[in-house]
Amino acid sequence: MGIVETKDLTYEYIRRDEEGNVEGITRAVDGVTMSIEEGDFIAVLGSNGSGKSTFAKHLNAILYPTEGSVFVDGKDTSDPANTWDIRQRAGMIFQNPDNQIIGNVVEEDVGFGPENMGVPTDEIWVRVEEALKTLNMYEFRKHSPNKLSGGQKQRVAIAGVVAMHPKCIIMDEPTAMLDPLGRKEVIRAARALNDVEGVTIILITHYMEEVIYADKVFVMDKGKIAMQGSPREIFSRPEELKKLRLTVPQATLLAYELKRRGLDLPEGILSGDELVREICLRTGKDMEQEKYKKALSEFAN
Amino acid sequence: MIRDITIGQYYQTKSALHSLDPRTKLIGVLVYLVSLFLFNSISVYIIATIFLVSVIILSRVPLSYILKGMKSMVFILLLTVIFNIFLTPGVPVFTFWKFRVTKEGLIIAGYTAIRLLYLIVGSSLLTFTTTPNNLTDGLESLMKPLRAFRVPVHEVAMMMSIALRFIPILLDETDKIMKAQQARGADFEHGNILRRAKSLVPILVPLFVSAFRRANDLAMAMEARCYRGGDGRSKMKPLKYKAQDITAFITLAVYFAAVIAAGRISPI
Repeated sequence: MGIVETKDLTYEYIRRDEEGNVEGITRAVDGVTMSIEEGDFIAVLGSNGSGKSTFAKHLNAILYPTEGSVFVDGKDTSDPANTWDIRQRAGMIFQNPDNQIIGNVVEEDVGFGPENMGVPTDEIWVRVEEALKTLNMYEFRKHSPNKLSGGQKQRVAIAGVVAMHPKCIIMDEPTAMLDPLGRKEVIRAARALNDVEGVTIILITHYMEEVIYADKVFVMDKGKIAMQGSPREIFSRPEELKKLRLTVPQATLLAYELKRRGLDLPEGILSGDELVREICLRTGKDMEQEKYKKALSEFAN
Repeated sequence: MIRDITIGQYYQTKSALHSLDPRTKLIGVLVYLVSLFLFNSISVYIIATIFLVSVIILSRVPLSYILKGMKSMVFILLLTVIFNIFLTPGVPVFTFWKFRVTKEGLIIAGYTAIRLLYLIVGSSLLTFTTTPNNLTDGLESLMKPLRAFRVPVHEVAMMMSIALRFIPILLDETDKIMKAQQARGADFEHGNILRRAKSLVPILVPLFVSAFRRANDLAMAMEARCYRGGDGRSKMKPLKYKAQDITAFITLAVYFAAVIAAGRISPI
């Protein structure tokens, strides 16, 4: 059994009028069955209103399924007795960095989770130091969170979850409110956590560039899983993605268009570097490779 | 405007007073306030002055900084002095139109002014030398016995520290909303008080809406990080009395004894 298992997960928002009568029912998540192995880097893609955030909130026992079930580390989320265990094992990062930092000083915020868990004082300090060093925020430990950049704030929030020693971290659009630099910082941090610490990462996003490192990608649409597979498999179907209101990275799109016009290229190219390599391999111009690479990487950036 | 008020702000420096336990300082301020109101005698005021001056020196907060904070209090101070001078019955010193200035009035006004001044300086020294977090921690720990009367001490302290964290964020937001409204032609600077108060509505409404949204997000983030109230929670920075706190308590006891002795011996 994987670290996260959902079976026919369905969640309905019930809209009510002022008297409390049911006005309408919106099915935000509709029969999602998913199995996530420990140590994987999973991306869940979807445009606005695809139900991806609602889905994410189930993995942390913030929302409970209307139908179906969710198991985190073998524990059923709908059993209230499991709530705190689940929240410790599956940490959650939200979109707005300001609205999830509780402490007035960086280190106090990172210590908030362990404090809630009742970890002894000495160990809290050890955990806070470890977490801040993992996220490269140790030198900011005495700073006020208000003076940090968006990417730094988000890294503090991640450190706060890491200090709780979770097995799995769910990131619900952690980069949506950040500038490009902050986005890179956060994604790099997520990858490092996955590579070095072996933490399972579930990244919810609508930025396609962020999912190329994932082991597996799920694309959600109207509450259902519309596509799933490796990033390469997903990116080789740009037409379908377009219908789901998602755009593939520029290098992938360029490769796809070139291939459609008769160039012999493999499917689902993910980055500019890869595209250059493939083109040079086929044209035999090793000498020119560096030049192309430079030009194309400038284009990709 | 709001940022100019130094009263209640923390002044960053290293001093004997800064490193004291917040509980010691809270109790100290309380004892000092009580001592000011116990007696009406010059000798007591002399002792209180000496004590306050030495605490100011110990705190290493510059006098000019303290006085800057007093500026906003001048009005209240003047008002109490004027009321006391004119409205106290007794032996008249001189009359002026319908008002009578009495000897008792002058004395009481003088005492009240000194009391108020010392009270404000004394309590602002507490906030000058204690970080807001420390202060809430200290309050939480001192008020713990109130839990027996079902006062939600931990919750109140948590709310205070969250409020402190969100003050700068909400100030920024107010600024943004004001600019957005100004860009669309809103006028906050002209007209009488009523008009200006009315023009605040389009700022306050979005500010409240956003504050509620933030509160909702924050509550969810706190729950996601296993927050479930004060029970079973450990402390990252537990408060501990140190040797210097004992010295402070002894000094405080000596001061209080001196005040009582002085007040008993020379009641005027």
